[in-house]
Amino acid sequence: MKFTITREKLQEGLLRVGPSIPAKTTLPVLSNILIEAKKDGLHLSGTDLDIAVATTVAAEVDEEGAITLPAKKLTEIARELPASPVRVTSAGEQRAQVECGKSKFRLLGLPRDEFPSFPHVKFDTPWRIAAKDLHKLISHVAFATSTEESRPILNGVLWDLRKDRMRMVATNGHRLAKMDVPLAEEGGAAQAELIVPPKALEQIRRLFAPDDLVEIAKSENHLGFRSEGTQVFTRLIEGPYPNYEQVIPRENDKFATVDKIAMASALRRMSIVASDQTHRIRLSFGGGTLKFSVQTPDLGEAQDEMAVTYEGDALEIGFNAAYLLEILKYMPTDEVRFTFKAPERATTAEPVGWDDAASYMCLVMPLRLVD
Amino acid sequence: MTARRIAILSDAVANRIAAGEVVERPASVVKELLENAVDAGASAVAVEIEAGGKTLVRVADDGEGMGREDALLALDRHATSKIRSADDLVGVATFGFRGEALPSIAAVSRFELETASAGEAVGTRIAAAGGAVTALEDRVRQPGTTVTVRALFFNTPARRKFLRSTRSEVRACTEVVTTLALARPDLGLTLLADGHAVVEALPAGSLADRAAQLFGQQLAATLLPVDHASGSVTVRGLVQRPAEAAASGRMAYLFVNGRPFRDPFLVRAAERGYRATVPPGVRPSLVLRLEVPAGDVDVNVHPAKLEVRFRDRYAVEAAVEAAVHEALGPLAASAPYSAGSAMPWEHRAVAPPASAGLARDLFGAAGGDDAAPSEGEAPAPEGAAAEPPIHASELRVLAQLHQTYLLVEAPDGLLIVDQHSAHERILYERAMRTLTEGAAGGQKLLFPLTITLAPAELEAVEANGDLLGQLGYEAEPFGGSALIVHATPAPHARFDAERCLREVVADLAGGRFGGLHNRVERFASTFACRAAIKAGQPLTTAEMNELVQRLMAAELPAHDVHGRPTIVQLPLLELHRRFGRR
Ligand SMILES: Nc1ncnc2c1ncn2[C@@H]1O[C@H](COP(=O)(O)OP(=O)(O)O)[C@@H](O)[C@H]1O
Repeated sequence: MKFTITREKLQEGLLRVGPSIPAKTTLPVLSNILIEAKKDGLHLSGTDLDIAVATTVAAEVDEEGAITLPAKKLTEIARELPASPVRVTSAGEQRAQVECGKSKFRLLGLPRDEFPSFPHVKFDTPWRIAAKDLHKLISHVAFATSTEESRPILNGVLWDLRKDRMRMVATNGHRLAKMDVPLAEEGGAAQAELIVPPKALEQIRRLFAPDDLVEIAKSENHLGFRSEGTQVFTRLIEGPYPNYEQVIPRENDKFATVDKIAMASALRRMSIVASDQTHRIRLSFGGGTLKFSVQTPDLGEAQDEMAVTYEGDALEIGFNAAYLLEILKYMPTDEVRFTFKAPERATTAEPVGWDDAASYMCLVMPLRLVD
Repeated sequence: MTARRIAILSDAVANRIAAGEVVERPASVVKELLENAVDAGASAVAVEIEAGGKTLVRVADDGEGMGREDALLALDRHATSKIRSADDLVGVATFGFRGEALPSIAAVSRFELETASAGEAVGTRIAAAGGAVTALEDRVRQPGTTVTVRALFFNTPARRKFLRSTRSEVRACTEVVTTLALARPDLGLTLLADGHAVVEALPAGSLADRAAQLFGQQLAATLLPVDHASGSVTVRGLVQRPAEAAASGRMAYLFVNGRPFRDPFLVRAAERGYRATVPPGVRPSLVLRLEVPAGDVDVNVHPAKLEVRFRDRYAVEAAVEAAVHEALGPLAASAPYSAGSAMPWEHRAVAPPASAGLARDLFGAAGGDDAAPSEGEAPAPEGAAAEPPIHASELRVLAQLHQTYLLVEAPDGLLIVDQHSAHERILYERAMRTLTEGAAGGQKLLFPLTITLAPAELEAVEANGDLLGQLGYEAEPFGGSALIVHATPAPHARFDAERCLREVVADLAGGRFGGLHNRVERFASTFACRAAIKAGQPLTTAEMNELVQRLMAAELPAHDVHGRPTIVQLPLLELHRRFGRR
C-alpha cells in the first residue's frame, strides 16, 4: 500500500471517523482505524461494533492495500504535521511509515483481517431524505429516550417511515417526544418502523450537513446511511415498540398557553427547593394565572406565579420539574400550549405558531400530589 | 482519737430504705465492700477471693479509714456515716447509704475489719463470728481499711447450699469488679482469684483506656466515643461500631451519676439509636454513663441497688437513643482498613450538611440537570473539639474500582465506599422519612406494568399495600394472579421500577429482612436494598460525586442497613507506616 494525501484531507477523514472509535475497548483492533487505499481514494473506517462509520477522501494511490493503525496516535500526528503532502507506505501487514516534509514516523498497527467486517446493507431501493429533516427530528426527539437499561426498546428512538411522512418518537415511560415531518420527494422504499440507538442518530447529525441528501437502507437488523463519501451503519434495536399512540390523550379539555422563557425561569426557581428525589412541584391553573408551589419537608417551600391564557376548569397538578424544563428547552417557539384532563392523566405540550411543516408534541405523565 | 461520724439511723429513716437481703453470694460481698472502699475515697483497691469467694473475700483500700468508735458502730444495723435523714436520700452521692452491708455480712461469716484513719497512730482490728464480736484490738497499719470475710454462710447451711460452682462465683465477682472499674476509670483496681490476677487495672486516663485494660485492645478498638447532652441529661461512654457487633458476647454497662444499674429498656433505647445499621439478633456492646440532676433519679428502689427510677424516663431514653445515633454519625465511625490502625480523624465528624438538600442530583430523578451540589456552612458537632469537621466538599472521588467500590480521597486518608451499600443507606433514610412523615406520590407511567405474581406474593402486596402506596406505587389486581402498576417511585435515573417491585414483593413474601424491629423499617430496608444501584454498575463521575455527597448527607453514612460498613477508611498515617515513612 502506498498513497499520498494532503494534510487537510487526511485530517478531514480522521475527524469524521474518529468519534466512532471507542475510547476504551477490550478488543484492541477497535481502537484502530481501518485504512484502505483504493483506486477511487482513501477509505477510512472505525467502529465500536454497534455503530460503524466509513468515509472516503481523495488521495493519490500508487499501490492499493490496507492496514489498521491506532486511531488516536494517527490523529495526533495528523494534527501536528507541517503543511505538506503526506506519504503513507505500508511495510508488511502491520507496519506503516508516514512521511511529511522532513517528519518521518513508523507506526505499528494490526492486520486488516482482524478488523470486523461491516454489516452488509444494500442500497438498491433506498429512502432519500434531506439531512436537515433528519437533524430536526433527531434534535427534538432523541433526548426523551430512556437511559435505564432494563427495557432496551426504550433506549432507542422509534423511526416510523411512511410514503408521505416520517416520524420519530422517544420515551422513557414517564415522558415522550414525537415529531412528524412530511416527505417532499418520495423516498421510494416501503414503509418501515425502525428502532435506532440514539448514539447512531448523534453520528448522523454530526456527519451530514443540512444540505446533504441522505440515502438510507435497511438489512435484516442493520440500518445504513450514506451521503457523498460517508456512510454510517448501525445495529437496530428489536421491537416491537410500545403502543404509544394509545397513550396520547385525545380528550384533554383544559388548555394553557404559556410564555416559554417565563415558565422555564419560574420552574428553575422552584426546583431549588424541590425534593432532590422527585423534583416534585405543584402547578395550579385558574383564571389567567399559573401558580407554582413546592413544599419539601426538611428544606422549605416556595411559590411563584405568572400570567397565562387558560381555558377550562381550575386544575392542580404535580410534575417532576426536570421533565417540564427539558420539554420547554426543546420547544421551538416562544409560546407553548399545554393540554390537560385531570391530575393523574397525561399532559401534552406543543409549540404555538411554529412556522414549519413539521408537527411536534411532547407528553408528560404527572407526579401524584398527596395531601 | 478521730471524731465519731457514724450514727444509727432512726427507725423512721431506716424504714424508708428499700431494704432486703443484700448478701446473696460472694459477689454481693465483693460489691458491698468495694463500694464502701470507693465511698471512703480510696484511690486503689485490691480484691482477693478464694474458691470464688466462698472461703475468702478480702477487700483492702487506701481510703480514709475509721476511728475505733466508728469501726464498732459500723457493725450495727443502720449505722452509716453517709446519710442522717430521709431527705439525704434524695441525690445521695455515695454507693452505700443504708448502713446495712457490714452487719449483714458479719452476721453470716467469720468477719475481720482492720482499719486506720489518717490522723491516727494506731488503728483497730475487730473480729466477729456470726455477727458477734470476738476480738477488738489495736493494729498498726497504713491508713485505710481491709475487710476479710471468711467462711461465708458458715452458720446458714441453707444459703450455703445455694452457692454455685467456683467458676461461676469467680465470674460473678469479676463482673462486679469490672463494672466498678468502668464506673471509676481513675481508680486502681485488682482482683486476685486463687492467686491469679483476673483484673489488673491501673488508674486510667479515660474510659476508652479503661475499656482496653479490661476487654483488650482489640475489642476496645471497635468502640466509638459517645458524648451527648439533651436538656439536663448527658450521656457519655462507648458504643460498638455496628459492623463489629456480634450476635453473642455483648457487654452492656449502664451508669447513672457514677452508679451502675440495670435497665433493659434503656439498652433497647440505645439499640434504637443504631437504627437499621445492625441486623436482627446482633447486639452491640456499650458502656453508657449518664449524668442527670440528683433529684431526677431515685437510686433507692432496689435492695441491691441494681435498678434506679428516673423521674422522666422518656427524656432519658430519648437522650440515650440520640447519643448513640450521634456517635455513629461521624466518619470516624466507619470501619478501619485494618484492626488497630491509627484513626487520624477519630474526632472529626462529618459536618451535618445544612443545605445539601439543595443539591440537584443524578440520583434524584431521571432527567435532572446538572447544577453542582452546593455546600452549606454547618456548625461543628459537639465533641468535635478543635478539629474542623470533614466537609463533603473536602472529599474527592478518584475512581470506581471493579464497578463496585468508589475510591475517595479525604483530608486524612482514603475512603473506600461500597456503591450499593452507600446508595442503600441513602434510599433507606429517604424511604423512612417518606413512610413516617406521610407519603410521596408516584410517577405516573405512560405504559402501565403488568406483573404476574405467585399467591404468596400477591398476599404480601395486599399486606403491605399501605406502605407500597405511601412510597408511590399505584397498583391494582388484574385477573387472578397479576398486578397492573400505574405509578411507581422514581428515586434515581437508573431505577428499574419493574424489577425493584418484583424483588421487593418476593422479599416480603419470603420473609427476608424478617427480624427487623418493625414493619416499616423492614419494608424501607427491603425497598432500599432493591432500589439501590447494584455492584457491577458502571457510574459516571458525576454520579459518583453525587453518591458520595448524598452519603455524607445521610444520618448514618458509615453503615448500611444490614450491619455492614458502607465506608472502609485507610488513614494516611497507616499508608505512611506501611511504606516505612514513619
Ligand atoms: N472501707 C471503709 N472505709 C471507711 N469507712 C467504711 C468502710 N466501710 C464501711 N465504712 C463505714 O461504715 C459505715 C457502714 O457501712 P455499711 O454497713 O456498708 O453501710 P453504708 O455503706 O450503707 O453506709 C459506712 O457508712 C462508713 O462510714
